[in-house]
Amino acid sequence: MTVTEDRPAYKWVGTRPIRHDGYDKVVGKARFAADLNLPGQLHGVFLRSPHGHARIVSIDTSAAEAMPGVKAVVTGDDFPELAAGDPERDTAINLMARGVVLYVGHALAAVAASTRAEALAAAAAIEVEYDLLPVILSLDESIADGAPLVNEDNRTAFSGSDEPSNLASVTPLERGDVDAAFEAADLVIEREFETSWVHQGYIEPHACVVDVGADGKADIWASSQGHFRVRSQTAAVLGWDTARIKVTPAEIGGGFGGKTTIYLEPVAARLSEKSGRPVKIVMTRDEVLRATGPAPGSKARIRIGATSDGELTAIEGWIGYVVGCVNNMAGFIGAMSVASYKFPNLKLEAVGVLTNTPASAAYRAPSAPQAAFAIESVIDEIAQTLGLDPIDVRLKNAVVEGDPTAMGMPHPRIGFVECLEAIRDSDHYGSPVPEGAARGIGTGFWFNIGEQSSATVNLNEDGTATVITGSPDIGGSRASMALMAAEELGIDVHRITPVVADTESVGFTDVTEGSRATFATGMAVVNACRELVDELKARAATIMGVDSEAVDWIDGAAVAEEHDPLPLDAITAKAKGTGGPLTVTASLNAGGAGPSFAVHCCDVAVDEETGQVTVLRYTTAQDAGTAIHPSYVEGQMQGGTVQGIGWALNEEYVYGEDGTMLNASFLDYRVPVASDLPMIETIIVEVPNPAHPYGVRGVGETGIVPPMSTIANAVNRATGLRISALPMSPPAILAALNER
Amino acid sequence: MSDSTTNRRVRTHVTCTVNGDEVDFLASDDTSLLDALRDELGLTGAKEGCGTGDCGACTVLVDGRINCSCLIFAPEAEGSDIVTVEGIAEGDQLHALQQTFLEGAALQCGICTPGFLVSAKALLDQNPDPTETEIRYALAGNLCRCTGYDKIVRSVQEAAVQLRGASR
Amino acid sequence: MPRAHLMSDHRRFTDGEAVIEVEGLTVGAVIAELERRYPGLGEILTNGSSAGVDGVIHAEPEYLVIGPDTDVYFVAPLAGG
Repeated sequence: MTVTEDRPAYKWVGTRPIRHDGYDKVVGKARFAADLNLPGQLHGVFLRSPHGHARIVSIDTSAAEAMPGVKAVVTGDDFPELAAGDPERDTAINLMARGVVLYVGHALAAVAASTRAEALAAAAAIEVEYDLLPVILSLDESIADGAPLVNEDNRTAFSGSDEPSNLASVTPLERGDVDAAFEAADLVIEREFETSWVHQGYIEPHACVVDVGADGKADIWASSQGHFRVRSQTAAVLGWDTARIKVTPAEIGGGFGGKTTIYLEPVAARLSEKSGRPVKIVMTRDEVLRATGPAPGSKARIRIGATSDGELTAIEGWIGYVVGCVNNMAGFIGAMSVASYKFPNLKLEAVGVLTNTPASAAYRAPSAPQAAFAIESVIDEIAQTLGLDPIDVRLKNAVVEGDPTAMGMPHPRIGFVECLEAIRDSDHYGSPVPEGAARGIGTGFWFNIGEQSSATVNLNEDGTATVITGSPDIGGSRASMALMAAEELGIDVHRITPVVADTESVGFTDVTEGSRATFATGMAVVNACRELVDELKARAATIMGVDSEAVDWIDGAAVAEEHDPLPLDAITAKAKGTGGPLTVTASLNAGGAGPSFAVHCCDVAVDEETGQVTVLRYTTAQDAGTAIHPSYVEGQMQGGTVQGIGWALNEEYVYGEDGTMLNASFLDYRVPVASDLPMIETIIVEVPNPAHPYGVRGVGETGIVPPMSTIANAVNRATGLRISALPMSPPAILAALNER
Repeated sequence: MSDSTTNRRVRTHVTCTVNGDEVDFLASDDTSLLDALRDELGLTGAKEGCGTGDCGACTVLVDGRINCSCLIFAPEAEGSDIVTVEGIAEGDQLHALQQTFLEGAALQCGICTPGFLVSAKALLDQNPDPTETEIRYALAGNLCRCTGYDKIVRSVQEAAVQLRGASR
Repeated sequence: MPRAHLMSDHRRFTDGEAVIEVEGLTVGAVIAELERRYPGLGEILTNGSSAGVDGVIHAEPEYLVIGPDTDVYFVAPLAGG
């Protein structure tokens, strides 16, 4: 079901063609990074720290180097030391420790050998002497007075202080007068919340193949959300010019933010350089869980004031994000993700806190789910206490165009109210709650971002077209590019071949992140097509012998009075005689990414014997702006939702006291499976983004934001328990039931 | 397994049928069937997502039953009949599941798709008219992180309808 | 005159002032003037902020041309998954 504002009648946009890369993926031909092998290729493996925090006194690789099949060994000494403040210094340290290991799983050496078994045997023969340092694993330990340092390198961002610190960042946001507002409020509710680390859980482990030639040039095949960033980060970590590196994007087997940075490529490059052979590195699942991702764990204290008729007058909150062993922006972003309600009085502080755990990475709307879980839970409790409908309360306070975000800037045209209305009017919300079940509501918001994209559109001799972009396709974006090009050019979508090209074959393009591919790269495609249509009109004018101003482009053909329409393929057939190849490249730094809101509704049953929460029915409404390929918009909504359901109910990192992750497998880190779930019903709301030629908002991220509160709110109505810690796993629910 | 004096790996000659073709390859005792398929036979359709039998991306049929090929030693495949995702289509005719997965947008990144197709084929071979619950349990050994399973389950339902129609 | 809207964290440089009128034809010029008046603030606005102008967030706003009545919201840099 789609709620649509008036918009132009599109021929291709909004249809559901088979995706262009689909055939290869259903017959097993699609080439992911681990599927590639080069002649003479070696296998690289890492030696990883067994300690959560230690000084490396010495590394002796001599025995390993003498082992059979071993062709190269590298340690931190094989990489340049990047200056303090260098934006890639933490990346470099995370992928190969220098002097200190910061978490269990931190890489400190790597071996390339003829077989993987030989490489593993040699890595095990590397002798390391450690001097153990205190291990900090929790937010509370890290911020305690006199706490040992997690990472001596860390300085609190923009604090002006040069003192080492366990704080990554401190972000205060304030407007109005919260103290007075709480004083005047009819109801004030304050609660504390906690969420675990969770992993992005892409099914494809990180993988790359790197071949450095005798000329010093590196060919890299990588699984990444952004191969231009692989190039720039690899160059920075190695101290190379980017021109030495060509990165070809393999098909990517899931990323969700976790593949926006690098873990392997510079190490494989150095091993290849030293051995003179191509080197392939494929992580194991154990390594993926111990040394990549995860999303930060969090603690929050949220206080909200309301009038008796449900107007939310003030919010005061503290949100701490556990960012892992190096600084990142999780805290900054978390503070700003509080943007869904008007809150005339607001006082927030978000902090990032370091621990001796893996460097956290982006995960779908990074930092927003933790904040939304807390805030949406308190709002639900306010609605319940006041005896108001949870959607009505949200409608009363929902932001609309012009209302300020937490950071003050007014929202552009947004569709939060429309999403709330879509759920309110849905079959699900209108139907009675099943016997023995309870219903919850939650909402989410994500900014989305624009950034830089390039696209080249080539028209072929026969009127087919190739659309070349630099955005790795992580969820169907190639089909969306082809659909927008089909709409512009007026040709069949399957006469268009969308391609994701390597770093030497297309203009610079930022990472596929922030739900930006269909939005920003789509804009580049549209701009290129529009320029191409102008050129087609000029060529048609030449062929028809008329003035080019006299030519219109209608439904894939040049049209001029007193002439038969000249279809695109008739013009491309005469390209040589009318001026040469028809090709246009467009590049841009896209502004105007449209925020996307989502509202979720679910019915759950709680088994009071086992503590098991079963999701019986789930509906999600999300503002897509315009859905270019509705099936893949639904897919983003459903996929994000189910990741959120996993975050809510099952997924968590369990650490031993020494910082060893105790559940580093898909058996013990349990992501949702098909039998855990019902269908995920979708309502695509379309409030077009005025900044995009087709009204696109990114849809990739928002879906993961609402499920934790949606389910917690349903569990509350089922049991009376206000669950404040994630995951709501059976033991946690049972413990809470027993305390009730 | 290595011979400690020469360090040359002892390898077993394995003969089996893969996607209808008789094949043979050499494999050391600790090589998984998955690695043999991928590295010795060049059939990279089956994927390694975990190596511990938890994700199902390496699912293949061995004598008609679904198996995680990462959990089978390659020499164990001697004499068996193996079907991988590359063997599901008949010539250029896609299997109904492949077609409904494409039409139903049941894949996003596609890394889990080969495993799902093999598991779903095994289900429909045995149970042509499964309920939604039966489909969900039959596919519970296959992890997908992109789709939330909705479109996969619907595509299997649609393929079941088509296959029942075709066999009538 | 353009108005610079500062995040709470920036206001330690401005004695708590949240909105400051600053002459400038570009966001870069606004930042330069703020640095002149409040030493130290410019570095944070340059390296630690994005700027929201007319509802659009710009990651590198230095050369963005603004009008005489523009509101410039300095906000933390954004990323995504």
